[in-house]
Amino acid sequence: MLKNHIKIAWRSLKKQPFFTFLNTFGLAIGMAGALLISLYIYDELSYDKMFADAHRIYRINADNKFGGLAEKLAETPEPMAETLVRDYPQVELATRLLNQGNLLIRKASTTSNVKELHTIYADSTFFKMFGLNLLVGNPKTALTRPNTLVLTKTAAEKHFGITNALGQNMVLNNSQTYTVSGVVDDLPKNSFLRDHSVFLAMAGFQNPQIGHWGSHNYFTFIKMAPAADMESFNAELKSLIGRYLIPWVQAFFPGMTEESFKASGNYIKYSTMPLTDIHLYSNMKTELSTNGSIQNIYILSFIGLFLVLLASVNFMNLSTAYSLKRAKEVGVRKTLGSNKTDLVRQFLTESGLICLLSLLFAIGVAYLVLPIFNDMADKAISIPFAAPMFWLILCGVTVLLGLLSGIYPAFFMSRFIPAKVLKGSGLADIGGSKVRNSLVVFQFAISIFLIVATLVVYQQLRFIQNKELGYDKEQILVLQDVNNTNSQEQTLKKEIERLAEVKSASLTSFLPTPSERSSWTFFKEGFFDQEDAINIENWMVDYDYISTLGLELVAGRNFNPSIPTDSTAIIVNEAALKTLNVDAKNAVGLRISPDLGASEDQVNYSTIIGVVKNFHFDSFRNNIEALGLSIGRFPGSMAIKLGGQDISSTISSIENIWKTIAPGQPFNYYFMDDSFNNSYEAEQRLGQIFSIFTVLSILIACLGLFGLATFNAQKRTKEIGIRKVLGASIGQISYRLTTDFLKMVGWAILISLPLGWFAMNKWLEDFSYRIEIQWWMLILAAVLALGIAVVTVSYQSIKAAIVNPVKSLRTE
Amino acid sequence: MLLQLKNIFKWVNSGGQRIFLLKDINLEVQEGEFISVMGPSGSGKSTLLNVIGMLDTFNEGEYHFLDESVHTLKEKYRSTLYKEYIGFVFQSYHLLDDLTVYENLEMPLLYKKYKGSERKAMVADILDRFNIVGKKDLFPSQLSGGQQQLVGVARALIANPKLILADEPTGNLNSTQSEKIMALFKKLNKEDGVTIIQVTHSEKNAAYGSRIINLLDGRRVS
Repeated sequence: MLKNHIKIAWRSLKKQPFFTFLNTFGLAIGMAGALLISLYIYDELSYDKMFADAHRIYRINADNKFGGLAEKLAETPEPMAETLVRDYPQVELATRLLNQGNLLIRKASTTSNVKELHTIYADSTFFKMFGLNLLVGNPKTALTRPNTLVLTKTAAEKHFGITNALGQNMVLNNSQTYTVSGVVDDLPKNSFLRDHSVFLAMAGFQNPQIGHWGSHNYFTFIKMAPAADMESFNAELKSLIGRYLIPWVQAFFPGMTEESFKASGNYIKYSTMPLTDIHLYSNMKTELSTNGSIQNIYILSFIGLFLVLLASVNFMNLSTAYSLKRAKEVGVRKTLGSNKTDLVRQFLTESGLICLLSLLFAIGVAYLVLPIFNDMADKAISIPFAAPMFWLILCGVTVLLGLLSGIYPAFFMSRFIPAKVLKGSGLADIGGSKVRNSLVVFQFAISIFLIVATLVVYQQLRFIQNKELGYDKEQILVLQDVNNTNSQEQTLKKEIERLAEVKSASLTSFLPTPSERSSWTFFKEGFFDQEDAINIENWMVDYDYISTLGLELVAGRNFNPSIPTDSTAIIVNEAALKTLNVDAKNAVGLRISPDLGASEDQVNYSTIIGVVKNFHFDSFRNNIEALGLSIGRFPGSMAIKLGGQDISSTISSIENIWKTIAPGQPFNYYFMDDSFNNSYEAEQRLGQIFSIFTVLSILIACLGLFGLATFNAQKRTKEIGIRKVLGASIGQISYRLTTDFLKMVGWAILISLPLGWFAMNKWLEDFSYRIEIQWWMLILAAVLALGIAVVTVSYQSIKAAIVNPVKSLRTE
Repeated sequence: MLLQLKNIFKWVNSGGQRIFLLKDINLEVQEGEFISVMGPSGSGKSTLLNVIGMLDTFNEGEYHFLDESVHTLKEKYRSTLYKEYIGFVFQSYHLLDDLTVYENLEMPLLYKKYKGSERKAMVADILDRFNIVGKKDLFPSQLSGGQQQLVGVARALIANPKLILADEPTGNLNSTQSEKIMALFKKLNKEDGVTIIQVTHSEKNAAYGSRIINLLDGRRVS
């Protein structure tokens, strides 16, 4: 019987190639999209799970409020790690990481540097913590001695390969010498350490400015005992404030107690975060690597589900519609003694066959599209063809999908009454059109929802790109590693400024696009109590900063090199005025101090000489925070404002100057507007993904609509013929056929627009600076959907309408 | 007695009116009879045939088939009953276009759960009896109307039914083809003792039968 079922299924599929194509194609697209999304989500969920004991490793987070500034940090104070191991037996191991950022590195005997972007100080327990083995060297001792480092395989191969790496001397930033004590294999792409290439020994590292309980700079990881109770441990962490932090603060504020600290509204809350949660759930001010977001996982899951659902709905619709052609078959089979179960089984075999066919296509499509998808999502996903689990799940899901899609049509068809469907040879009315129509409404509702989402995401992106930033990001070239010019950065600057195409240049590490940041605590003159502390971003810049970036002064004046006191002056932004609680006029002349000094008369003050208009130096997701600019030597990079058209010749002139002043040093630069755009990569990706899957879902919905239109036109051949004989014009008939479908799209619009509006408003709430959803976006989505539907349906409608009625009536 | 209809009524409600398709039909059919049902269009011939074939229900009356009371049977038992004893022949043949002659003939046997070897033997036998062995691998569209109806009759006969119901079996055929099919029916009736009820418009075809029943507006007139 099964053989017979398959044979008949295969023949009837072959007999209706158009129907089979629509069904298979729609399902294949849906399945391929869902497959890619599933692989993506699987990859996102796999982050950091490869480390041995990953489930026992936690990072300590700090949720702080101090000086009017609330921050969520992934870093904790320097003594945290050893304190936890000492005070709590359930903490087996702790290790600290301290970001060093980019570093120029070379073999001691050579002069040309290699730039490593992600370097990090690590405790000697690092390898034990994460269960990492070294290719060469001993993981137990590798980072125990000062001035030793461990390279990844890739980093080592740039200099001397792996086998003879041990004991090599390396020079960092042309100043310190480190010895290679090990080489570790490249870290997995789905781990938080994926970008890091150089691990420096924390041993011997000292920085008195951050080596205490008052500063949060160290990423602290701990490994808990297997049976540790995390809830009680987290509660225990509260006691650290009273035990360690307050005694440290008391050195500066003698009267301070834990109670008075709390009473002032400030807080520091430590908590643990599982290592495996970091990638999807952590969104701190600084992270060791770019994280994903669980929100995107949810969004993608929904899109994947939608795609499969759309395709499955398509299948149901087309199958029930086309079943009309098979009504006779059902009738004959029933009179010959077939019962319902047999028929249901036969039709399920057919849908199973289509699903399998689609699966093959889907795998093919996914395989072909994967490189593009990887590129877009910045992933290295591959299809796990060798994994039996993959095939098992895939086949399971396909069978399930076949049943899900086939069960309604199967029962629908097996219900045909033979005496009815065998009457005459024409096409009987088989009913079920209400279900089909509501399914079309459902499909279009999803498509319109996705159109709205895409429009809003893209409008928000455009808004970000075109928003008045408060500074001029165009035509600014940022020259990097200027501090590696052997203290000749001033000469370099003068030489570059001399170029005709250069308007101005400024030496600083602090730029509005992602770069150096530094938050300081200030006190207004005369207000030195702990609760009067004010947290302000304090950037070290030079005299040309404001003019190079095109910042606008709203009060006071710019720095002036001929006024000696300006070296201790500060220019603040408007947001800082709010924290200082003064207006722009009164702010000028105000004195603030970053340190309390040993006594009242030894305090170092900075005088506010000007106020700049707020400019965006942080993501649009956040409000503009208080900021101060002071004169200081921090020449990590040089911002160069270019004039003129021929950018590439200007760059080569700058490179020539660089080569004479800093021979052998890598010449690295980027454009500020690129860097700006990169910082919204996540949103751009979301926009791309939305638009691609929107197109896919519309395509699937259109396939379904096209099939239905074809079927409808066939079913109404006789009606159309009669109408034409009675004098209806082609226009009237095609209008009639088309409007039936547009009504369904109309319903879909009514359902999906409010939903889309609501959901996208939720998404926009994440942005402090955002667009409002405009009426025209909703109307555009509706018009687009209607337009697409008209184009899809009208071909069939017109085709049916121009048929000669003599022909169509003869078929009856 | 093969079957008996007692005061059968069948109607549909349309616009508040009750339209009778069958009105007080009484009929007894003995085994071995060859009955022709005649009447103008819309007189209820096909409906009567469908009721007898249990493809359609009726609203009032009693229907006995062999020893069973069809009007009290559930759908499931009814279908086992007609599967076992009745074969159908249609005006437009209703062969399945996707299946070959052989497969069309085999299908009723599949539904009656015959074994593969039995099916083979039975199909071969009927192909032989009807002289269509050479056509067994052809699809219906490759056959003439007469040949298609030949296959249709063969399919109805293959599982050895007691009763054949034929709804205008020659309606789509020319006169030569018609005569052949009618001769075949006659032979089946005479030699194999198969009971046949046919619906026809043609006096000539009706003459092949042993008894004629006339219908008018759903009522039996003779």
